[in-house]
Amino acid sequence: MPTESPGGGFRKSPSGKRLSSLMVQDYMALHQKASEGAFVVWIAIIVPAEIFAGFANVVYGVPESHAAMCAGKGVGSLQCEKAERMGYSSDLCSYARIDLGTAFDNGKDSPTFGLPRPHLLVSNTNNCSLLVKWFDIYHRVWGVPHFTLDIPFSYESQKPRDFDYIVTQFADLIATIEEMSGQRFEIEKVREAASLSCDALREWKRFIGLAAGRPSGITAFDSFVQMAPFLTSRGTRHLAEHYRMLADETEEQVKSGIFPVPAERYRLLWDNIAPWHQLRKMSSRLSELGANITCASYTYCIGSKEGEYALHEFDGGDPFTWLARLQNFSVCPHGMRLRANAMKEVIGINGIDGVVFASNRSCKVYSLMQMDQMRRVRDELGIPCVMIDVDHADERKYSEEAAFTRLEALLEMIDAGRAGSIAPA
Amino acid sequence: MGEILATLCELKNQGRRLVGCFPLYPPLELLHSFGLTPVTLWGLSSEVTDLTKSDRHLQNYTCHVARCLTEFVLGDAHALLDALFMYNACDTLRNLPEIIEEGLKEEGARLLPMFRLHVPAVAKERTGVRAYLKDRITSMVCDLEEFTGRPFSPETFLASIDLYRIQRELCAEIEDAACRGTVPFPTFVRILQLAHFLPVEAHIELLDAEIPEEDDLPPHDLRHPGVMVSGILPPPRQLIETMEASGLRVVANDIASLKRSLGYNPAPTADPGEYYCDFYLNHYPCSTLLASSDRRIETIRRAVHDSSAEGLIFFGEKFCEYEYFEFPHLGGMLRAQGTQTLFLELTGQTGEGLDAPRNRMEAFAEMLKGQAGS
Repeated sequence: MPTESPGGGFRKSPSGKRLSSLMVQDYMALHQKASEGAFVVWIAIIVPAEIFAGFANVVYGVPESHAAMCAGKGVGSLQCEKAERMGYSSDLCSYARIDLGTAFDNGKDSPTFGLPRPHLLVSNTNNCSLLVKWFDIYHRVWGVPHFTLDIPFSYESQKPRDFDYIVTQFADLIATIEEMSGQRFEIEKVREAASLSCDALREWKRFIGLAAGRPSGITAFDSFVQMAPFLTSRGTRHLAEHYRMLADETEEQVKSGIFPVPAERYRLLWDNIAPWHQLRKMSSRLSELGANITCASYTYCIGSKEGEYALHEFDGGDPFTWLARLQNFSVCPHGMRLRANAMKEVIGINGIDGVVFASNRSCKVYSLMQMDQMRRVRDELGIPCVMIDVDHADERKYSEEAAFTRLEALLEMIDAGRAGSIAPA
Repeated sequence: MGEILATLCELKNQGRRLVGCFPLYPPLELLHSFGLTPVTLWGLSSEVTDLTKSDRHLQNYTCHVARCLTEFVLGDAHALLDALFMYNACDTLRNLPEIIEEGLKEEGARLLPMFRLHVPAVAKERTGVRAYLKDRITSMVCDLEEFTGRPFSPETFLASIDLYRIQRELCAEIEDAACRGTVPFPTFVRILQLAHFLPVEAHIELLDAEIPEEDDLPPHDLRHPGVMVSGILPPPRQLIETMEASGLRVVANDIASLKRSLGYNPAPTADPGEYYCDFYLNHYPCSTLLASSDRRIETIRRAVHDSSAEGLIFFGEKFCEYEYFEFPHLGGMLRAQGTQTLFLELTGQTGEGLDAPRNRMEAFAEMLKGQAGS
């Protein structure tokens, strides 16, 4: 969130405080309801959680979100090490290792005491197919049923046959939960949840749209932190309300001349998952250099169709249509051309000076197109780019100095480009 | 020039239209029925001497299989190929079509038509799975008709199915011989690997010639410990030699490019949609076919039991996350039933780079022998 500190950096704003309270409430409610007999589902982050609103007493936990929180709170590597001691390779996704380390140690060292034991696992293949293998481990060890949503990859816009296939699977998921939980499904409640999610996303887009101002009203780090409840509170009134207040408050700050990087000289775009263990350090150090990572593909994709930036609105009709159409939104389930389309649009809207491609060993599916993507941005758009090595949740695999050497080189390239563009012929 | 590239050159000179396929389980019969020659681009490390072209597109934490594949296609192979085919397997491979296309553009090379298939990653019992896959296959048939300029022929398709059925049956036969020890394991590996690059007719001829009428060699010395081997690729020749020199006999295999590729023969039908529903949804279990995970556990357990293997050696391809997620549980399950396990991580090493895995294999063999003697 924006800060009043003239030097930039982090100071908890009202929205930041509200976010903390929201997250605490979400996790407490999850544990409480689970202990009172609710049907507990663990989901991959892109699983359309609005569907669970159709049941009276189904709650869901999100292992990836929990893992990000562990990393942000400084216990990511500790949990990773636990998984590694069980034989899981340190080359595996750090979210998965954090989750396995936490789950098989009964929530110990987790800021939320882990997640309550699930009755059903729901993975998907769109963000990454590895989630299926990861959830399979719990399926085997605990004997918990595992339902997979199979979402075909989009090299072009989502095809009608893929859309139909996805909708069919939603129906199977609902039937599975009905059978397992004994609860009856009500579509009206899902329609309402979809409507609330769309309201929340509209506000989200308004919030991240403030990156277009000069100086930018936000940093990408704000969006990283603030996306958390989108994963844990989808389809709720309090999420929509939180994002409305977040956008209002940020707009007010902009009007009052309060900016996260007041002396903003470099406007950057981040491509990949957030470096959860570095949010404060990286944003502060960049701020000192006059640099602001104003936006990120990881968060500007939320609420859009694959390869687009604008919100995909819910028309109030069939909620499954809206949910299915958004199943390829999250960068990883779509191809290079689509990624490039969205990035080009955002670069234009936000007046981006340089792009940081965060090559993330823990997320190959996000990273393995970046070398070509970087050439495209550099050659076709004339925007300087740099690639830095990160791991989104395992701090042991990140070198701050190596990253900043490259980030500083990017700023120099931007300066050189500016000098060149104003130099006399 | 490597052996595989030389083979492709020869096939091209014969006037064949080559379709480079990845990963391991492409619809070979269908491609063949259109007069195309499918070659499965897998296990190319012996062909690739450096990764210069691949390194311009893929980070060094990409698995060696994908890096070699990319290098091979962007190197000399693209000029020999008429098209590429891919289906969804792992996250790395699903990104490759566009990466290869970018690479070809950068090389100033002709872009290759790309056939893509989405194989459902869920169980066959789920609603709509068969209909979806059949629809995808129907689309592919249309694409192939357009590409080749010839209509789909049920008769030709059935004839192609028959050829691949014969090939798989002969592969099973030579595998049995290898497990008994009457065909050397390195010979078995070499011959089966050729299934991916030779036309099916030529491979059948080769198998016919190599399968002994009567056993060439005396059977295994049963006093030597029997092991099962598993992994995405067979181990390099040097490790196979070490395995044999250490007195281990391979009594079963779960190698993706061997057993998993050739272990299931669907029932013949002239309907490609039906055929590939059977092929993919009942395929021999593999870590890359997500819906087969539950069956895979049982298949491995049974194979170990039926072959009386005393140990299982996992040849892990570094960064192959599908396999790596499974190893700890599989290993634990086998150890719990008294089967020893050894995990070796490989990433295209040769020469001295194989010293460490060699030592570990020798130690493993000693342990199994000691166990048998105690």
